Amino acid sequence: MRRRFGAGFWIATAWISLVVAAAALADLLPIPGYDETLVGPPRSGPSAEHPFGTDGLGRDVFSRVVHGARVSLGVGIGAVVLGLGLGAPLGVLAGYRKGFADAVIMAVNDIALAFPSLVFALAVVAFAGASLRNVLIVLGVLGIPAWVRLIRGATLSFAEREFVLAARVLGVRDRRILWRDIMPNVAVPAASYAFIGMAVVIVAEGSLAFLGLSVQAPTPTWGGLINEGRTLMETAPHVVLAPSIVMFLTVLSFNLVGDRLRALTDVRQSGLEPARQSAPLPAGPGAEPVTGALLQVDDLRTHIHTPRGTVKAVDGVSFTLERGRTLAIVGESGSGKSMLIRTILGLLPAADVSRGGHVRLEGDDLTRFTPEEMRQVLGRRLGTVFQDPMTALNPVRTIGTQVTEPLRVHLGMSRKRAREEAARLLASVGIPDPARTLGRYPHQLSGGMRQRVTIAMALSCGPDVLFADEPTTALDVTIQDQVLRLIHRLREERDMAVVLVSHDLSVVRQWADEVIVMYAGKVVEHGPAEQVFARPRMPYTEALLQAAPRLTDPSHHRLRVIPGRPPDLADVPPGCPFRPRCAYAQDRCGAEAPPLTGDHDHLYACWHPTGSAVAGAPEGAESHGR
Amino acid sequence: MILVVHRLVRLVVVLLVVTFLSYGLLNLLPGDPVTQILGISATEEARAQLRADMGLDQPLMVRYADWLSGLLSGDWGTSYISRVPVADELAERLPVTLELLVAAQLVALGLAIPVGVAAARRAGGALDQALTAMSFALLSTPVFVLGVLLILIFAVTWQVVPATGWTPISVDLGWNLTSVLLPAITLGCGQLAVYARLLRADLIATLQEDYITLARARGLSPRRILWRHALRPSAISLITAVGLNLGALIGGTVIIETLFGLPGIGRLIVDSIFSRDYLTVQGGVVLISVGYVLVNFLVDVVYAAVDPRIRRA
Repeated sequence: MRRRFGAGFWIATAWISLVVAAAALADLLPIPGYDETLVGPPRSGPSAEHPFGTDGLGRDVFSRVVHGARVSLGVGIGAVVLGLGLGAPLGVLAGYRKGFADAVIMAVNDIALAFPSLVFALAVVAFAGASLRNVLIVLGVLGIPAWVRLIRGATLSFAEREFVLAARVLGVRDRRILWRDIMPNVAVPAASYAFIGMAVVIVAEGSLAFLGLSVQAPTPTWGGLINEGRTLMETAPHVVLAPSIVMFLTVLSFNLVGDRLRALTDVRQSGLEPARQSAPLPAGPGAEPVTGALLQVDDLRTHIHTPRGTVKAVDGVSFTLERGRTLAIVGESGSGKSMLIRTILGLLPAADVSRGGHVRLEGDDLTRFTPEEMRQVLGRRLGTVFQDPMTALNPVRTIGTQVTEPLRVHLGMSRKRAREEAARLLASVGIPDPARTLGRYPHQLSGGMRQRVTIAMALSCGPDVLFADEPTTALDVTIQDQVLRLIHRLREERDMAVVLVSHDLSVVRQWADEVIVMYAGKVVEHGPAEQVFARPRMPYTEALLQAAPRLTDPSHHRLRVIPGRPPDLADVPPGCPFRPRCAYAQDRCGAEAPPLTGDHDHLYACWHPTGSAVAGAPEGAESHGR
Repeated sequence: MILVVHRLVRLVVVLLVVTFLSYGLLNLLPGDPVTQILGISATEEARAQLRADMGLDQPLMVRYADWLSGLLSGDWGTSYISRVPVADELAERLPVTLELLVAAQLVALGLAIPVGVAAARRAGGALDQALTAMSFALLSTPVFVLGVLLILIFAVTWQVVPATGWTPISVDLGWNLTSVLLPAITLGCGQLAVYARLLRADLIATLQEDYITLARARGLSPRRILWRHALRPSAISLITAVGLNLGALIGGTVIIETLFGLPGIGRLIVDSIFSRDYLTVQGGVVLISVGYVLVNFLVDVVYAAVDPRIRRA
């Protein structure tokens, strides 16, 4: 626990305890009374006898601050208890019952939140009389809407969770569900807000007291002390500074404790760039650059450091790609396909990620590039299309702004030229009425049209390689074919290379020249498309092919699926990662990871490759081994 | 269209409730205006006479309807104490409060946007942590504490600005800006922390979006991505907060105007509370509440301008 909260939390807790104890024991402390005048020379600074000095009437400021804490904390606790006591039941009712009760409570709540509360508190206290009780009631009641909103939100989010729904289906009584399942979960946000609410109320009470509208003299209050001290600011600043600092520290402490409690339920965040750069993975031996290759990826690795262990999301992937060819990367979700693309492009999610290996673009190692150099390559020489066209375009910028941006940034075109070029690009990807489309927002276009726009953007600067990460997965079947045809046509026209990522083998079969099959971050089979499809060697590839439904299958044909799940990448079993799901697995598969070997350009990682002369026989596999 | 009608109906309901509560609460609470005007020693007949003259013998709803129609026609009543029409008094004070509010929002937003963007760029980095700590400290500083400290530093110790007082814009622009500077900074600083934290959190969420990753894949600079791509989709919460925080800000003006001796609405309300100037307090509270509700209504409209997705709805 100690490590999760941090030192600040414990210091804040200690300060709150100190202030609470001092307020509770104020009468027992060996200090002068708060209204005893001339206990020391007036306006004298801090000394051993009067740690906060004395005020204009020679009263002990320390004693006055300690007694003032009683009012601040008393009102704070009272108002929070009042707000929680009335707000929590209403919030739970609204969040759990929903429907009519929710509508009414929230409508009233919204109206209540539409009040400027301090002004209202001021008016009410002014007319009802400035007393401890009135201040407490007003601040407590004004806090209710915030409590209702908070508790309702927390209840709502838990009332929909599976375990609560399950309990309801099982006929568990509501009261029991509320107490057993919902209350413990709402308790943390409520406790967090209790502290933040204390801070809010202490400030509000202080404000009223500062205006002279809280508990009346002679009882000291923090706000009142600060107001009194103002007049002595030039001669005795300590009189105003002492209560100010104590009040600041107290409010800060309550906020800090509330914030740390709330952080218990938060997830970790990262920004645009990593806060800390993880050390790169040790470089492997490194293959010689292949001459003539456009893109050469060599032993690329991406390791993500998580609290559960290191996830080897990409584990030693190598390939080369030439102009005018399409490389397909296939595998189930979570096999590392998308991570591979992001690793090549250097777009890894910020912190706690290490990269190893090399990416060579016409011989230049991109992994050695500075961010500035990399930006010259991205967009200009490497184009990218993502899976979901719904999220790939910025919703608040027009198509025109987005398509012209790379043209203006990378190619330095004028606004007018860029617009003409953008219209031409949109036309080339088959968008009707490109001039009008430029003025539209993404939400005004269909999914297929949006994907065409993202392809146009990726191609705007004439890239050498187009990375298409599941470009058709989110689209209708008829649109899918159009988009793939478009990518193929553009490849021919522009003599680029395409890296096509897909889990859909029918896509790959039709358009790819070469195929890489990934499993658990590793390449398990790699070869020319026609060979891989005609004669898959790795049982995983075979299973993928069998799992893909074909139009030629008879109707009511039983859909084949691959049994089991991909392994947990933080805890990959030893040996072949596919072993637990493999029909051909033998003892050796669990003991030793198969290397990527094979004949000519068709490689596979399997001890017992399928389609061998003696399928599954150990000798057959041995012959391809080391 | 239906949405606009729905919002307008809601606006009217909220305005009715707000004005009724402003009127009703202050009427139902102890504190009899008749006693204030005539003193405790007045005869019962004189009291009854005045009560009838003021319409106080009517049922609450009737009085409210009267008062509301007066409000709409600009007759906000005449102060029992100063004998000045409440509407005139408020109109004279309003520009001061408005200038203070606008200046404070400018200070807050002008600083919060660069601070929030800088913090989100490397979330968890040294700059982010420093800015988070700073905004946390600012959030925990009551506005009167901050004001006192700033006066102590800038007006008392360094004497670069006057501690209190007000020069209207019509008299001298330079002096006017000098007199609004310290109050605006004091009032804006608390909001600055709120805004910067909100913007930072929303930006961080936006930065996880696909379209940001794709913008990076197009080789755009971090600066461009943050300011041109991420800022606007992340501004929704900030705009809401600017509206909602107006309540806190208006509460703050009451204190700021008292602390810095500015002749605004807030000061008028406080002074009127102490002089038991019943109608003026009521007028001030209504003006502030209605203004607050209207601003929040406008904020809803501004959303649509910022986020075209909402325009469709």
